[in-house]
Amino acid sequence: MMRPNGLARAAVRAKPASFAGTFIALAMAALIVAACGILLETGLRASVPPERYASAPVVVAADQNEYVVTGSGEDREEEAVPLPDTARVDVALATKVAAAPGVAAAVPDLTFPVRTEDGSLTAHGWGSHVVTGAELASGDAPSTGEVVLDAAAAHQAEVAVGDTVTLQAATGQHAFRVAGLADAGPTDAGHDGDPASGVAWFADAQAPALAGHAGKADAIAVLAERGSDPDDLAGAVRKAVTGSGAQVQVGDDRGAVEQPGLGYAKAALFGIGGSFGGIAAIVAVLTAAGTVALSASQRAREFALLRAVGATPRQIRRAVASEALLVAPLAGVVGCLPGIGLAHWWFGQLQDRGVIPEAVRMHVTVFPLLAAVVLALLTALGAGFVAGRRPAKIKPGQALREASMERLRPGTIRTVLGVVALVGGAVVTGVSASSSGDAAAGAALGVVMLFMLAVGLLGPLVARLCVGLLGLPMRGAGATASLAAANSRTNSRRLASAITPITLGMAFASTLVFMHTSENHAADEQLRAGITADHVVTHPAGLPVDAATRALATPGVRTAVGVLDTQVLVPIGSGEFKSLQGAATQGVTGSGAELAQVEDLDVREGSLDRLGTGRIAIDKTLASSAKVGVGDRLPLYLPDGTEARPEVVAVYGRGLGLATVTMDRASLAGHVTSPFDSTLLVRGGSERSLAALGEVTDASGYATEQSLDAKAGSWSNRMMAAVLGGFSAVAAMNTLVMTVIDRRRELGALRLVGATRLQVLRMLRWEGLLVAAIGVALGTAIAAATLIPMMRGTIGERPYVPPLLYGAFTAAGVGLALLAVTLPARAALRRWS
Amino acid sequence: MRRHDDKGSEPDERPTGATTGTPGLAVELRGVRRRYGRGTGAVNALTDVNLALPRGTFTAIMGPSGSGKSTFLQCAAGLDRPTAGSVHLGGTEITGMSENELTELRRSRLGFVFQAFNLLPSLTVEQNVLLPMRLAGARQDRHRAAAMLAQVGLADKARRRPAELSGGQQQRVAVARALVTSPDVIFADEPTGALDTGTAAEILALLRQGVDALGATVVMVTHDPAAAAWADRALFLADGTFAGGVEHGTATQIAARMAALGTPTARAGVSVGAAA
Repeated sequence: MMRPNGLARAAVRAKPASFAGTFIALAMAALIVAACGILLETGLRASVPPERYASAPVVVAADQNEYVVTGSGEDREEEAVPLPDTARVDVALATKVAAAPGVAAAVPDLTFPVRTEDGSLTAHGWGSHVVTGAELASGDAPSTGEVVLDAAAAHQAEVAVGDTVTLQAATGQHAFRVAGLADAGPTDAGHDGDPASGVAWFADAQAPALAGHAGKADAIAVLAERGSDPDDLAGAVRKAVTGSGAQVQVGDDRGAVEQPGLGYAKAALFGIGGSFGGIAAIVAVLTAAGTVALSASQRAREFALLRAVGATPRQIRRAVASEALLVAPLAGVVGCLPGIGLAHWWFGQLQDRGVIPEAVRMHVTVFPLLAAVVLALLTALGAGFVAGRRPAKIKPGQALREASMERLRPGTIRTVLGVVALVGGAVVTGVSASSSGDAAAGAALGVVMLFMLAVGLLGPLVARLCVGLLGLPMRGAGATASLAAANSRTNSRRLASAITPITLGMAFASTLVFMHTSENHAADEQLRAGITADHVVTHPAGLPVDAATRALATPGVRTAVGVLDTQVLVPIGSGEFKSLQGAATQGVTGSGAELAQVEDLDVREGSLDRLGTGRIAIDKTLASSAKVGVGDRLPLYLPDGTEARPEVVAVYGRGLGLATVTMDRASLAGHVTSPFDSTLLVRGGSERSLAALGEVTDASGYATEQSLDAKAGSWSNRMMAAVLGGFSAVAAMNTLVMTVIDRRRELGALRLVGATRLQVLRMLRWEGLLVAAIGVALGTAIAAATLIPMMRGTIGERPYVPPLLYGAFTAAGVGLALLAVTLPARAALRRWS
Repeated sequence: MRRHDDKGSEPDERPTGATTGTPGLAVELRGVRRRYGRGTGAVNALTDVNLALPRGTFTAIMGPSGSGKSTFLQCAAGLDRPTAGSVHLGGTEITGMSENELTELRRSRLGFVFQAFNLLPSLTVEQNVLLPMRLAGARQDRHRAAAMLAQVGLADKARRRPAELSGGQQQRVAVARALVTSPDVIFADEPTGALDTGTAAEILALLRQGVDALGATVVMVTHDPAAAAWADRALFLADGTFAGGVEHGTATQIAARMAALGTPTARAGVSVGAAA
């Protein structure tokens, strides 16, 4: 039947402005889906073409991921978690690979830092020069005890061929004879390396030991014989390395070996595009559906007339659906353009913050855009059908009667579902209060969604309740205020549809931002209380290996402890919720007693005295997440993926500010790329006497090496809050404008009855204020119900809410509502004045 | 004019048990009740309505506000389902019909004119007149629409939108639409309520013309004695049931009868059913 579509087309063509609200809502939904889809697809396709290994068609490297395996048999799922540091391969493997057919050479490649007196150099084994294109300019290749420098390094150290230069490596300070000078290849200075900082090459036999990883290399680059097929070569190499656990990479996968940051970048993009994108899409779809429903309800009289004149329920449903469908394609397309802009900006920000390597490019293909448009269409169709059910079903007589006033009782199904969602939210709140760590964070999200669902479903009831509460004082505040209260009470449906977006924005923004401020606040407090050292020594190139010993030799120094900051992976959870959590770790030189002199970890159980090889201390949050206590063994993965099962000797309370895991420095040696400590904590001594070692500050200068996760995570939280907040703001304004425009007649009638223009505006402002107040209050309640148990689980304290920030959110909500109400009202009243 | 005093059950020729309407009657209501709400808050809009209207007549239904006029119209026209009783239109019982069947009926055999908001603002005048045909999926007969518009004196306004017409002109379009399907019955709910006397007279003349020239049956709810004077008969609704009527009355007679209806003594002891 074509007729109802004709009606829909006529309706849209005649009064396009009445569909503007639906258009905007659908366009925004498309915007969010397009932006998140682009980021997700970029994450899926992200790859970096190899630079360093460009001339080696095949590269052998260790697997840079650890895997979380859930389920078994058919449902077996493996989730890859990138390792915090580089996993390495045995150098001995190079001999096996070289024997494979078609291989011209198998070159073990290493990159590691060495220190000069007051700077650092990027060092490699000399063997890698055939791969990177470095060439000897003068002198000879280095043998054991010798080094080849590039021009910048020689200049920095003020040496020439034949001189001796003192360099600090993982094994300590040594003197090397400068055997020659070379021109570095384009990638020799490192990824973010400053080409002016200098490159050094050591003998292949000595390099692994100097790097701190005896017998291991970062990767083995395979050079091919002329005329050999790359795929055949790859197959042959694979055969040669079977059983060693190493992986063979070709094509762009070689770039992933060079760029360890790629794994993190992909994980971050999946998180934003996938997880956040999913939530944002659901929110956007439900909001758009609500707008379509509002638009349909505003035209209830027209549909009642159609029913009276002879339209079947089916024709009405199709008409409502068609109207939404006519607007959807253009809305979808219009939403895609700013969506691309948002993705572009977000991607750039992530690159600026170092989450995504510079070499990764953002891909914009047609798929996410198509998905956005299709989603807009489906939302319009679905929402249209659901919104059309009521005008289609009810008897025309009833419809004509009702059209002037809202029906009082909400549908039974809706009420039941709303109560179920409310109860569900309360239950999950209880669950998250008794759990802790990551389980609490996961439950928090569920709580917000369930409460939001309850608000959406029980909207009119909740609105009427709140208006009842607030209406009493309003009634005494003058004619305009009491009129506003009466309007809101009788039109609770309209009120509810305006309150919902504000509540949504407030709840999500508050939860995300105050989660971040709470954690930050707790971390800062713990940091301030936790560092009891008199002096903190740091150096941009890292502290020398014997820094602690040298400090102790300085007069006046009672204790000196070196700290290396890195990360380990800890498996937590069980069954379906197994995951690998990255835990900030500090490796400390010195014994537990010495550590207690410079750091106050607030030990709750056990004691630090036994800290040492195979014995660690952990933070209480990790203890409860991983379900271990003093005396248990905690399975974990060291930064390069090596498994370990140390015993827990102490549980302390300041893990958020200091580090989640404290272990002895020696256990980490050989498992990290940089052998140089980050910080030296000193008790006693004076600033002047320690100045030789590096920059000296007092305790306030200590900065935990926040893992890339945490830094990017807090920015991402704010970003997500901004996106959801912005979306809710537009949705709220959209809804409010729609409702005010629809009341043009009513406002005109008020003017005729004798209200001045100012009085009508004031009444509307009161209504806007009411909407904002209820929305902000509900949103705050939801955020509180979510954050309080969650923060109690993760940081053990109440959430920290900066009053200024909260005030800003509230002011934004109120300002928005007032603006959205005043502007259309002025326009409408202009005709009547 | 025939009267129908029976209420409740009557002998039935059909073995199925469904009540049959009396042929020749355009509108027939038997024992119709309509109650809103539940329990103590319930409102009995129609308490016991019995009515029989022959074809080709113009009947005005009158009564004070709250007497149940609009409810009566909606029940009679199939826009609402009565709590009890049966309604027959043109011999067919509509009380048991499904929504789709009722819709069919409304499209082809009934016409409606409301007090206001008769037209879809997004369609032109011509499209509004042809709306019932459009909904039926039938071919839209533009000649017929033009003829109807000419009959109501708005032939030149076919392409305008309702917003461009005056109130009286909009009502005339509504009448044109009501007539376009040659319906059995036209139901009008206060069609002249929002119009001045001159324009109101035009509308009533059109309805009268529909009855006299085209043989339509018109049931008009109104509170205006002057409008009721155009009808063949004016029936009075009070407290949800009929309480007498006036045949071929003048506006003054009708007004006087209405005033009398307002006092409680006049209503006591009145017989149920349409009475002269």
